[in-house]
Amino acid sequence: MLAYTVKRLFTLIPTLLAASILVFLFVHLIPGDPAAILLGDTATPEEIAQLSAEMGFDRPLWIQYFLWLGNVLQGDLGISIFFREPVLAVIGSGAETSILLASMTMFWIILIGLPIGVLSATKHGTWVDQITSSGAMLAASMPTFWLGLYLIMIFSVTLGWFPSSGFPSLSDDGGITNLRYLILPSLTLAAPNAALIVRLVRASMLDVAREDHVRTARAKGLHPARVTIKHVFRNALIAVAAAFGFTFAALISEAVVTETVFSLPGIGRLVVQSILRRDYPVIQGVILVIVVLYMIINLLVDLAYARLDPRVSLK
Amino acid sequence: MKLKTWMKSALAVGALMSLTTGALADGMLRYATVGEPPSLDQQVVTSDLATTIAHHMFEGLYTFNGSNAPVPLLASGETVSEDGKTIVIGLRKGVQFHNGQAMTSADVLASLQRWGEFGSRGSLIFDHVDSVEATGDYEITLKLKEPFGPWKNLMAFINGGPAIYPASVVTGATKEPIAPENYIGTGPYKFNAWEANRYVELVSFDGYASPDGKADGYGGARVADFDTLRFIPVPDVGTRVAGVRAGDYDYAESIPGDLFAELDADAGVKTMLNGGPIFGLVFLNSSDGPLKENFALRRAIQTAIDKTPALQVAIGPEGLWRANGSFAPQGSVWATTSGTENYSKGDAEAAKSMAAAAGYDGQPIKFMVSTNYPFHYDSAIVYTKQLAQAGFNIDLQVYDWATLIEKRAQPDQWDLFFTHHGFVPDPILISVMNDNYPGWWATPEKKALKDRFTASSDPAERQAIWGEIQALIYEQVPTMKTGDVYTYNIASPKLSGLGEQTLIWPSFWNVSK
Repeated sequence: MLAYTVKRLFTLIPTLLAASILVFLFVHLIPGDPAAILLGDTATPEEIAQLSAEMGFDRPLWIQYFLWLGNVLQGDLGISIFFREPVLAVIGSGAETSILLASMTMFWIILIGLPIGVLSATKHGTWVDQITSSGAMLAASMPTFWLGLYLIMIFSVTLGWFPSSGFPSLSDDGGITNLRYLILPSLTLAAPNAALIVRLVRASMLDVAREDHVRTARAKGLHPARVTIKHVFRNALIAVAAAFGFTFAALISEAVVTETVFSLPGIGRLVVQSILRRDYPVIQGVILVIVVLYMIINLLVDLAYARLDPRVSLK
Repeated sequence: MKLKTWMKSALAVGALMSLTTGALADGMLRYATVGEPPSLDQQVVTSDLATTIAHHMFEGLYTFNGSNAPVPLLASGETVSEDGKTIVIGLRKGVQFHNGQAMTSADVLASLQRWGEFGSRGSLIFDHVDSVEATGDYEITLKLKEPFGPWKNLMAFINGGPAIYPASVVTGATKEPIAPENYIGTGPYKFNAWEANRYVELVSFDGYASPDGKADGYGGARVADFDTLRFIPVPDVGTRVAGVRAGDYDYAESIPGDLFAELDADAGVKTMLNGGPIFGLVFLNSSDGPLKENFALRRAIQTAIDKTPALQVAIGPEGLWRANGSFAPQGSVWATTSGTENYSKGDAEAAKSMAAAAGYDGQPIKFMVSTNYPFHYDSAIVYTKQLAQAGFNIDLQVYDWATLIEKRAQPDQWDLFFTHHGFVPDPILISVMNDNYPGWWATPEKKALKDRFTASSDPAERQAIWGEIQALIYEQVPTMKTGDVYTYNIASPKLSGLGEQTLIWPSFWNVSK
């Protein structure tokens, strides 16, 4: 497994190089000039061109790319045009929110999705299954901005139980209790994802339940709960594990709507705002980090497969 | 047993969380903004959001009182020579920068020099300046090439204006905005932190030397009653409104018109109308394409448009907009009806005949608009329909704002584009008066009037000349004003000292909770 892991880590290099070229080209080929955004509506073309040159954007694109790549190889993702801070620090500030939000969302997904999925599968065809499946469909269909705003209206404005928006860092005043800022957003984000996990667990368990080894286990007279947990649920987890991995990665990079509704300083909102501001170093840095994240999660999912299913061999 | 322990822990954390939810410091003002400013460097950045934050930190030699007249701020007063070409400005003594250093004429000189060369609005004055010198520790002398009437208004306008920085910060600074670690001003609040994507935070400045006199507009005494001002980006308007209602924010900006009636009736929220309206502008290309030098065709386009339906669609409640053809709002000394009979005719048949007479043969007219500002897009949709009814072949091109800004700098890329303008206290600051602003209106008639306008120091004469300029705008149509839009913000009723209206940008000195 160690050799496999090292080999996979080496394959990151050409992939990252290709990703860096694509990201750099896409970012610079879209129209728009960060100098124009900085100077505002009243700036003249001459003033914009002057600032653009001061920031080095008048150089040929390939020179800009290699300068950037050289710095990236030394661990320097550059300086944000907008924030005047190292890109790594800007990403780090967003990463705290995104990782905590994704983790809390995963907590809800596991807490809600897995038991209901198992219940739905074990009560297959009954009224319990009908209700849980309908509930899952409803949760999957609700737009997150709509659900988020309703949760704010009920739990923040009316009841005053949770803050309506924002997220101070855990290192700010309040410390660990600042996690309360993430309860409503994580529930918002968990609703559609938990619904998908319910559907996935249910479908996988029903598939596994029809297999010969499960029939054999039942024929041996094992307790039904033991059959469900040890023989059906565990085997169904193989498909669910991959979904968990990619859901976590997606929660970090794609929670834009939820981050916007709850005004969370996360990675998703950062990348969208950076595109609107044409903050090239931040866009490039964030996308590179997301690419790395997906590749690592892909690797972890493959390793988890091997752990869950001894038939899978890693070469 | 284990379950009981777990439940006890959860209850303890819950209790702690509920305690801290209510424990919000009264010494902090939390302001929900639409986003983050590009920079807080007032000399080069003209974003209104940047000024809303930065004018608590940075001050100029002058500012505006409640009647939008310039009054001294860091200046103690001035004398102007009889020929109007030498201006000696005295500086207040005892003013300290946030770094503890005393402000002297060396700092003012360095700031004015950088603003004159690189500031967004600096060239408007410095094109007329022969020299600027420190003629004493607390005295600055401006020598002009010719008399220049609007100098004090330009000095008092902090947005893109001459904020005073320490010489150590501003000497050698160029067009690139200065970095946050150098945000050192003389204002009642000083810079504390800019946490990317989270907030910009200012704290009260203990060494602040306030100007004397009763507070009036931005003039007079300033007292920092809050320990901290925190400006938090909250891009979603529903969240900004819910946040003020829930008590998570004390103030929220840019609330859409369709919520006005509901919020105005809500005792838990105070609506704050902005006294200085913004106004939409559709620029016409004077440099390239079918509209270049074809004033008759431009007048045909102007005649086709009825501004009121667009304002109704784009803004909503009638109290928030005014179909006003004067470039200055009603009540301003600059308001004039000159030329406004052509402001909003909405006569498709007349426009069709005028276009035919102007030689228009149906060629596409490229109209650029951005969806970043919904009122631009909504208005443009109405105008496109009206222009089509008058026989114009409009090619509506929808971009994000960054793309539109880049494209409008290229004369061959567009014929019309939609933008908007903030309230300005002197018409010289309106973008169409700048010959280099996209649209590039620089006719000899404009130059002659502009020269007279800037050379005069007599208020009555300047107002009369401005009337002639506005009439020329309606005749040559370098831009079309779409109407006045009174934006509004909402505040917690706990805030006192806000007054009834916002002057131009909200200010939080002399405000408490």
